[in-house]
Amino acid sequence: MLEELRSYILKKKHHAFRSPSGIDFAAEFAEKRLNPRARVAERFVRICEMEQPLLMPQERIVLTRTVTDPNAIFIKEEGEDRIDLPCIYTKEEWLQVKEKHFIHEAGWLSNVIPDYSLILEKGLLFFRKNADEYSCKMIDALIDLTDRYAMEAENQGKMDVVETLKKVPRYGATSFQEALQMIRIVNFAAWLEGNYHVTLGRFDVYCGPYLEKDLATGVLREEEALELLCDFFMALNKDTDLYYSIQRGDNGQSLTLGGVDAKGHPQFNMLSRLCLLASKELKVIDPKINIRVDKNTPVEVYELGSELTAVGLGFPQYTNDDTVIAGLLEKGYELEDARNYAIAACWEIIIPVVGTDIINVGALSFAKVIDRAFHEYLKKANSFEEFLKYVDLIIMEETEKILARIQNIWVIPSPFYGMFFPFEDVSKGGKYNNLGVHGTGIATAADSLAAIKKYVFEEKSISAEAYIEAVDADFVGYESLLAKLRYDSPKMGNDDDFVDDLAAHLMSSFADALEGKRSSRGGQIRAGTGSAMYYLWHPEEIGASPDGRRKGEGLGTNYSPSLYARCNGPFSIVKSFCKPELKRIINGGPLTLEFLSSMFENPEGIEKLALLVRTYIKLGGHQLQLNTVNRETLRDAQKHPERYPQLVVRIWGWSAYFVELDKRFQDHVIARTEYAL
Amino acid sequence: MTGIVFDIKEFAVHDGPGPRVTVFLKGCPLRCKWCHNPEGHSSEIELFWKKEKCTGCGLCRQDIEHELCKQLGRCWHHCASGALSISGQKWEAEALVERLLSYAPILNDCGGGITLSGGEPLFQPEFALEVLKRLTTVHRAIETSGYADETVFLRMLEVVDFVIMDIKLADSDVHRSYTGVRNEEILDNFARLKASHKPHLIRVPLIPQITDTEENLSAIARIVGDSPVELLEYNQLTPTKYAMLQKEFPLGEIAQPSKVDLSIFQNAKLLKL
Ligand code: SF4
Ligand code: SF4
Repeated sequence: MLEELRSYILKKKHHAFRSPSGIDFAAEFAEKRLNPRARVAERFVRICEMEQPLLMPQERIVLTRTVTDPNAIFIKEEGEDRIDLPCIYTKEEWLQVKEKHFIHEAGWLSNVIPDYSLILEKGLLFFRKNADEYSCKMIDALIDLTDRYAMEAENQGKMDVVETLKKVPRYGATSFQEALQMIRIVNFAAWLEGNYHVTLGRFDVYCGPYLEKDLATGVLREEEALELLCDFFMALNKDTDLYYSIQRGDNGQSLTLGGVDAKGHPQFNMLSRLCLLASKELKVIDPKINIRVDKNTPVEVYELGSELTAVGLGFPQYTNDDTVIAGLLEKGYELEDARNYAIAACWEIIIPVVGTDIINVGALSFAKVIDRAFHEYLKKANSFEEFLKYVDLIIMEETEKILARIQNIWVIPSPFYGMFFPFEDVSKGGKYNNLGVHGTGIATAADSLAAIKKYVFEEKSISAEAYIEAVDADFVGYESLLAKLRYDSPKMGNDDDFVDDLAAHLMSSFADALEGKRSSRGGQIRAGTGSAMYYLWHPEEIGASPDGRRKGEGLGTNYSPSLYARCNGPFSIVKSFCKPELKRIINGGPLTLEFLSSMFENPEGIEKLALLVRTYIKLGGHQLQLNTVNRETLRDAQKHPERYPQLVVRIWGWSAYFVELDKRFQDHVIARTEYAL
Repeated sequence: MTGIVFDIKEFAVHDGPGPRVTVFLKGCPLRCKWCHNPEGHSSEIELFWKKEKCTGCGLCRQDIEHELCKQLGRCWHHCASGALSISGQKWEAEALVERLLSYAPILNDCGGGITLSGGEPLFQPEFALEVLKRLTTVHRAIETSGYADETVFLRMLEVVDFVIMDIKLADSDVHRSYTGVRNEEILDNFARLKASHKPHLIRVPLIPQITDTEENLSAIARIVGDSPVELLEYNQLTPTKYAMLQKEFPLGEIAQPSKVDLSIFQNAKLLKL
């Protein structure tokens, strides 16, 4: 479907129409001493004016970035990032801002979901009525741009595009095509304003009614609707290389399907189904698809999801309403809001419209916690219980360290995107202003604790001194110990209470440490099980670990067994990872299972995978990500990247084209395949 | 009672109805030239050695303490590079049953069950039957070559819910030259299976130019009649496990697969692995 459009975009033919803005906005703004809102608006308006309409073959959902700034860089603590948008602050100015404030990542609004229902119903002119001068200018510039698109469409005889652009974005949408075009315009503008991790929220809930109406009145047939949806999905892939992200793909463009309404009734609708089909058809990395499920979700939903998993994009990801909603309630979210949650970027939980939580302010390294306890306290501890108390103490210390940095948060204002939130200034916060902290390396930590408990305190087969020496020597000269630790010791993922109970303890201790703490905006702190890029950063802070992980070896992604644990299989993994009290750690972060792609050669494999997913949800798991891997293909792709331009792999909460990744990301993906199921 | 098991695979998707846990019993009276599971042949515990992971440090040959490692001549406990491992573990029937029943809630919820496979599970008949007999609260299947004594086979039919049985070659002489045994006993057991009305599935491995010939498949089609059949596409990659056991893959080169006409069977489908 839409093969011509798809290949046009994947071959990056539209890049030929791009040109740099050539303007040093930052210097100009600094000289004029413009206020932040003025800067954001000014850049947006002037770039909109420079934008050239670009229509691609077969395309009916339009808007593509043509103005970029290939040399732009963005200054952050650890160095610089490319952003492809000219900066609005000079380096000096930005450093001054950072002296006074905590700046999260790129400093812009991220991971929030605007009121798409209202946008679709009313159109931008409705919002213009109460907007300030900056917002008005931006709306006008955007409408002017879409008018130029309409003219170009008319020249090319694409009359349905012309008709669509007469309605949106000015007025509310009245058809499925208009709704999709409106969402694309807002999405485009949100990125262009400077925001990032621009996520789509509960797409089937707010857009589904437009589809259903068109189908019911015969305006569209199902195939036509699917084609429009594919067009829209491709639109989300046009500019991704320009978005602020660690690697291309990590852009937070997720959409969430299913779940329940405010009263708790299931929501999986016609559009939810079509989204899964469209994604399966297109095999592209955006949008990343999430499905909300619960213990009563019918198996057909899992089957549809599994058919998409089989394609090998690393999504859909499943999130369990039973666990997450319960957890949100405990964190003070109101029931109706909790029931309306969506997935922000990778796996983080956010409430559309009212939630302005900063869901990824930092990460606790469980591996480092153990490393510190091991070195600082093992010799002192008289019993394992005593040692564990030290571990808890360090968890407390480390989380306090993470939170201490986050004072006086400042977010760059969003005169455009901010209009779609029911708050005076959404950059200053909304109804929920909680913070989220990830937790990495849980399996490495739990396995280490189990080994310490077993060998030092129970069997007494190794002394604290000798153990520390071995770990500090990276096990060189301690090969038998290393072999025992790696291959013949309790590992999380084998349904073995000896180690799983310790994992549960670590998780509770993490949740306890955050309990009662407050962010500088008055919010609570949520514990999570995601790893994000920390799975590569955290191991760099420590040497070898007591579980036999050698120096330089990675941690598992998200919530998963250690990279070299020989696990019994998916049932045991699922059982092990459901033991911690997951509703206390609902910031997000999926259990991640890797399957060999051969698993999906036959329909049976797909049907049965659906049952496995359902099992995890019924057992109370919180979130699940399923990846398909083929070791030989990946190795070959490293050698011959030109042969695999479209090979997709899942990283931590996003999917990417394998050959576009830095080698260290590629290597980690390959390492993960070792014990694929 | 004890038996030797070489693997317990969770979430097996081709070993019976629903997702399964499959137990691989070590030892097989056949020696199919195309076999992908050579560790299933011998009933003894064996050593796996992954050459590409071996650093040649030699530690596995020093200070061997364990009885079993002494017999094997190398100690896998000393190998930190993951190059050495053991194939085969001794299990008490009772302990194995306990482990398997720990999966029962999940398996019952998914409509799956436990499958005994091998090697040839009936090559350790008393152990296999004992385990099956005790697995009362979960669906039980067996994956067998059908090469077993009549009494063992009949007793097995009493304690399983589903049988997956191979029929590889219809001609007994050809059967013998490729698997090491004649097939009369197998075909007799198939007749017993059919007479028992036990739900079952016949598997035919499609070995290029050996079993996948029209002649062989039509003969098998006549034998099995209306029984459901699964034709198993042969994985063309040379099995890696022979090298790990330091054995030769007896089939050597694999020929081009024939085009198979499913319609010669009353009730067959193709399975790609
Ligand atoms: S201990 Fe392992 S790596 Fe060393 S020689 Fe033996 S098999 Fe090879
Ligand atoms: S019967 Fe099965 S396990 Fe035994 S040799 Fe033949 S293929 Fe291998």
